[in-house]
Amino acid sequence: MKKVLLVLSTSGTGQEVIDYAVGRARKEGAGLIALYILETGLANGVFDTFTDVGFIGDKPSQDLSEAIMKEYRQRGYEELGRVQVKAMEEAVDFEPLMEDGGYVEKTLEAIEGRGVLAAVLVKRREKMFLKYFSISHADEVKAQARCEVVIFTEREG
Amino acid sequence: MSVEIDTRPIWVLLALRALKPLFYIVLAAVFLYLVAMPAPAGLSAAGQRAIAIFIVCLVLWVSNMVPLAITSLFAIVLVPALGVLSKKETYALFGNEAVFFILGAFILAGAIMHSGLSNRIALNIMDRFGRSPRTLLLSIFLLAAFLSFIMSEHAVAAMLFPIVFDISKGLGLKPGKSNYGKLLFFALAWGCVIGGVGTFLGGARVPLAIGILKESTGKSIEFLDYAVAVFPLVIVMLLAGYFLLTRFFPSEVADVSSAHAVLSRRLKGLTKMSYNEYAVGGVLGATIFAWIFFGKAAGLAAIALSAVVCLFALRLVRWKDIEEYVNWGIILMYGGAIILGTALDKSGAAEWIVNLLIGKWADKPWMIFAIFSLLSIFLTEAMSNAAVIAILLPVGIGMAERVSISPALLTYSIAVPAGLAFMFPMSTPANAIAVSSNYITVKDMAKGGFIMCVVAWVSFNLFAAFYWPLIGMGYGK
Repeated sequence: MKKVLLVLSTSGTGQEVIDYAVGRARKEGAGLIALYILETGLANGVFDTFTDVGFIGDKPSQDLSEAIMKEYRQRGYEELGRVQVKAMEEAVDFEPLMEDGGYVEKTLEAIEGRGVLAAVLVKRREKMFLKYFSISHADEVKAQARCEVVIFTEREG
Repeated sequence: MSVEIDTRPIWVLLALRALKPLFYIVLAAVFLYLVAMPAPAGLSAAGQRAIAIFIVCLVLWVSNMVPLAITSLFAIVLVPALGVLSKKETYALFGNEAVFFILGAFILAGAIMHSGLSNRIALNIMDRFGRSPRTLLLSIFLLAAFLSFIMSEHAVAAMLFPIVFDISKGLGLKPGKSNYGKLLFFALAWGCVIGGVGTFLGGARVPLAIGILKESTGKSIEFLDYAVAVFPLVIVMLLAGYFLLTRFFPSEVADVSSAHAVLSRRLKGLTKMSYNEYAVGGVLGATIFAWIFFGKAAGLAAIALSAVVCLFALRLVRWKDIEEYVNWGIILMYGGAIILGTALDKSGAAEWIVNLLIGKWADKPWMIFAIFSLLSIFLTEAMSNAAVIAILLPVGIGMAERVSISPALLTYSIAVPAGLAFMFPMSTPANAIAVSSNYITVKDMAKGGFIMCVVAWVSFNLFAAFYWPLIGMGYGK
């Protein structure tokens, strides 16, 4: 079965993105995979900041890191739940996925491993000068993926 | 198993691989050049070497290429190796009173956290006072500040973070979108930052500054004198912070009963207050009392270490518990910073830098105070506050000796603003966790933080000009 991949944003995916992905899957007669990637790097970064700069011991730093990861995981379940509800309403076959790791690596893995025909991604709005110096994860996926990649830009506030 | 192929251009990959070694090679080359070049007029050979070490440490502290403590270790190795100070003198500085005071204070804070006392205080205060959106916000803000008076602000942020997370979730606040969510995490971060400068215990940076001051001039600042000078400023900054936050992010929440339910649930999960909590609270109270009233006579470090001995004698903590709560890297960081500061001062390098940079045109005490406080508050946004003190204070003390300004006062002008990091996640761990919550963006923090920095700097200078002379702390020596 053909698949459409929706990669969810950690700071909340807009309803229009979910509507588009579900609508696209229905139009193509495909199943929908919703992927939520846990940004372990962020929690690790906070852990390092606390131990290296804050000089607090391993236990409070570890507890803090775990609290952050627990919250991200919870948010992931909520986001996946939102997509599932929409997919059920539209009678689209749905598969939720939650992965630990890098955004680009995990998205490409899902695209390659699951025969995805189109991937729907969200990227943050960037300043012009930042665009010049760096490439967003979503654009990086688009450059490397062997399928159609649709990118939405996250609204501010 | 899939094989991943990096499709980036080869020159990008090579450049990225070469970046770190190249950084070290360039730094080593700059260091060797600074050591080998002919000494500029007015600077001794030892002073020149001290400046070379200072520049290497400055670059490493700013770039964070190695942990802060390891940079300090580097200073400890280089200072005697290059003959800036003798081996005996260098390692003796490592046993500075300030280092042991900080160690004692961190162990005490570890015991408070381990006993659960701090968590119980936090939950009770939020539960009792946080009945409306405004009072809940205020209780988080003031609680973070209050706890940062008695223990490390970083530890307070780490402890309160899961509670504030649960409250935000309980209220159904959307990350990145809810103004009230932003307010709660800003209150946590800014409360810790502002409270952290209130006493010696907040960030441990004041004891470090006093350690450098004492090594350079033999003068010191007492626990009570510091609190009397800085406490009113803390109150003004808390008021200003609350005012700014509520103007930047008007709350959309009208009812916080669900947050109250979260707090009640957490409180129900606690057992009855234990003997350990009472006893640790008692030891903490007695220690603060002794610091205030007997600090000068007995010595702050001796009191702090006596409290640690009490904790173990009363079997309130085990060594294993303390090891988990205290990061021993702090000893290396602070010991190294004091050694570097003393090396700059004793070699005459600090005075030479002062003459070179600001000595010619800044000659009025208020102007020097303003310049150092400005440098300190903005440098601390980009680097560790302890590193800011290690870098600025030796130069500041050199400047104080040159013009008619009290070195102790100049220590305030650097030590207090060094704690006021409001702008970026990398400025201080409390900001880092506030941003990691996803309720606050880096942009929110930079915007609000910049205004708060300006307000704090202006308030601080006004206090120094008008309030401190009233308590006998004029600019003069």
